[in-house]
Amino acid sequence: MDIFIAIVLIIMIVGSIAAAKTKNILSAIIIFMVYTLMMSILWQKLNAPDLAITEVAVGTGITSILFLLTYRKIKVVKK
Amino acid sequence: MKSRIVINIINLLLPFIQVFGIYVILFGHISPGGGFAGGSILGASMIIYRFLNGSEKTDEKFKKNYLMKIISSALVLYGMIKGSVFVGAFFGGHSIIGTGVPGTLLSGGFILPLNILIGAVVAITFYFIATLFEEGDAGHGDVMD
Repeated sequence: MDIFIAIVLIIMIVGSIAAAKTKNILSAIIIFMVYTLMMSILWQKLNAPDLAITEVAVGTGITSILFLLTYRKIKVVKK
Repeated sequence: MKSRIVINIINLLLPFIQVFGIYVILFGHISPGGGFAGGSILGASMIIYRFLNGSEKTDEKFKKNYLMKIISSALVLYGMIKGSVFVGAFFGGHSIIGTGVPGTLLSGGFILPLNILIGAVVAITFYFIATLFEEGDAGHGDVMD
């Protein structure tokens, strides 16, 4: 196996475990963004650039924005 | 959190994001990308504009009435074009507008207009989903107060 793909996979595994274990919600959202970015790099490495563009646009763009909106709502409710 | 520097820099950056989204939509049939990917980039840029400039200014710029008209007519046109391609393929009429020169922008028959329609629908739908998230009991419009 390529060493680069192995490093990306290790980062993805560590990131997914950390996103589930973190207590702070904002850092969990940011770790999830990093996970999705690594996923898109992996798609590009596996010769699927179309899927990589879609993964970046949807996973890192739209999903993170919606998560941040929900995070702000949670803060308003707690106050 | 709502600092002057962030607002100005991202307002400078937004046109480039939108040009990239339009590029991904227009060149969807000869390079990676397509209607869904480019439309989601455009929708993200519209949502970021709403974050930064507040909901009232954005509602003046993107009126909900016009957006609903655009999305409805795009869906009707998509159904008509796609249906005519499917039905016309049985009668040998699937290439009415010709195939164009391979490798250039005007090629691939009906794929370019279909990609443009998909991009409009996806961008406006993502923008509407974000506005639905903002509305509700817990608070009002602006995100970064």
